[in-house]
Amino acid sequence: MSSKAKTILANTRANLSGYNKLGSFSEDELFDVVDYVPSAAERTGYSDYSYWRCVFQNFAKNKVAMVLFIVFVILFIFTFIAGNIGNYSYDEIKPDNTQILIAPNSQYWFGTDNLGRDYWCQVWYAAQTSIKLAAVVAVGEIVLGVIIGLLWGYVRQLDAFFTGLYNTINNIPTIIYMTLIALLVGRSFTIMALSLIFFGWLVTARNIRNMVLIYRDREYNLASRCLGTSTFTILRRNILPYMISVIIMRLTLSIPGTIAWESTLSYLGLGLDASTPSLGVLLRNARSYFIDFPYLLIFPAVIVSLITITFYLFGNAFADASDPRNHV
Amino acid sequence: MLKYTLSRFLQAVITILLVVTIVFLLMRLLPTDYYFTEDELMKLTDEQKHDQLEAAGLLDPPLEQLMRYYKDLLQGDFGTSRRIKSGKPVVDVIGSKFTVSMRLGIISLVISLLVGIPLGALQARFKGRFFDKFGTVYTVFVNAVPALVSYSLVLVFGAKVLGLPSMYSVRNVGRSSILPVVCLSMGSIAHYMLWTRRYTVDELNKDYIKLARLKGLTNNQIIFKHVLKNSLVPLAQYIPGSILWTLGGSLLVERFFSVPGMGTLLTDAINRYDTPVVQTVVMFYAALGTIGVFLGDVMMTMLDPRIRLGNKEKSR
Repeated sequence: MSSKAKTILANTRANLSGYNKLGSFSEDELFDVVDYVPSAAERTGYSDYSYWRCVFQNFAKNKVAMVLFIVFVILFIFTFIAGNIGNYSYDEIKPDNTQILIAPNSQYWFGTDNLGRDYWCQVWYAAQTSIKLAAVVAVGEIVLGVIIGLLWGYVRQLDAFFTGLYNTINNIPTIIYMTLIALLVGRSFTIMALSLIFFGWLVTARNIRNMVLIYRDREYNLASRCLGTSTFTILRRNILPYMISVIIMRLTLSIPGTIAWESTLSYLGLGLDASTPSLGVLLRNARSYFIDFPYLLIFPAVIVSLITITFYLFGNAFADASDPRNHV
Repeated sequence: MLKYTLSRFLQAVITILLVVTIVFLLMRLLPTDYYFTEDELMKLTDEQKHDQLEAAGLLDPPLEQLMRYYKDLLQGDFGTSRRIKSGKPVVDVIGSKFTVSMRLGIISLVISLLVGIPLGALQARFKGRFFDKFGTVYTVFVNAVPALVSYSLVLVFGAKVLGLPSMYSVRNVGRSSILPVVCLSMGSIAHYMLWTRRYTVDELNKDYIKLARLKGLTNNQIIFKHVLKNSLVPLAQYIPGSILWTLGGSLLVERFFSVPGMGTLLTDAINRYDTPVVQTVVMFYAALGTIGVFLGDVMMTMLDPRIRLGNKEKSR
């Protein structure tokens, strides 16, 4: 045995005998009861990891998604100013028998519809309506979905109730509910937004619930709970980060989905009333004409599709980037 | 299994009953003026109106009406239509429309399964190559573009380029059904492609694939003989969802192509306040949806005996 090893052995022996002495202390002297201090419970070793910085770094690496994002933002902004740069403003257009179905020209940039009204301002106004509705519904759906999903997953007593509710709503085509609401309650922007939210939370809530079930009893949550962390903090700090990618995913699907719902319902005469141009109303009015006058279809179709497709693709990329499991 | 089937059946009945009750009560909330056509509203005196409503039992308390309605339902009496075909039993009114809708629905379901699943498998087979990318573009297109817009594009393309009829007509059922069926299947094809591709790709990473490769099987043999069977199992759970989707979508497609089916009937009946027809059609859709979801679950157990339903955590 070398001399170095001998010194180590000797040191260890000395330390051990020190521990043996502990036996003579009472338990009160050995342990201090500490109060729960949130900052102390959260304290870890040094790390310069920041969730959102990592998300944006990951996202910025994806060049295609960045381009799509920029296209989407430009389109989005343009939707809200386009109405002001045309030759006609939406508030002033009225039916004009002499100007029916004129193909696009310098006067009427998108042509005129079957009543002789300028199509440019109608199309952009419709896009505005669709975007506003989609934004309201998507946010509402997510908020309601996340709240219900958290309750559903975390509170065991509520599980049976929400499962029943979910099955009841989910087993019947949503369009049946929407039809009934539109005809029995009424048709307006608010009613439509509320009913879409009311029937739209299902998928989000189910995804969130499954996530909560997976993560709620993991060891690190158990440890957190033992340290006295409140349920709300556990949900917010320990579980929510895993769900952000799911939430963004739902948001991504919900916006094109809502635009589709709006057009379907308005086409069936169950959505917004005919005086508010929206995508569905425009296509409904143009249905008999667009085989012979395709521009009536092409312009709204291309604009709305560009908005939804760019948003969908960039949303998907962003959802990937926001998944903490993809972070290094 | 039997216990599970029974409890699911009970749940389905309760769901349908709940929906029917809600619809019934909602329709009763409407002002009674809707009972009359505009002509009648002008001509009839208040007293005559009152007499007619009383004779129809619409002035009784709603609860009493509801009980009477349940009793009729139990005896298989769905009521008589008031506006659509005055005086005819609702079942007869629905019967003829049902055939039209179901024919389109079943054809499109079969097409979307037959086209969607092989295409999804091929996508997985050629993962990352042109065919896969092309398929992904298609699924993104269907998912992101509003259905109405893609239907319109199909319509313009079909009518202008291929010269197909743009409206459904009873005289020329075969040719005029083509565009509605295409529109109905478009969405579910994308749906099946997406999921088949995903599950097949997952499955391809498993160990038994390595063994199959070592044994010298070709890629095609592996995918179509071994992998597809396994990847179809989780896929089965999406079939009911897609049945629901087709049901819901048929409302728009039928309206879009003026198909005289259930969807058109429902919107017509609601617009004209034909209460018995509305109630029965909604009940029918509810039943179809519930049964579809249930069958999907059962199908999954049949495809893969390892999956047992009725355990505390349902797989769906």
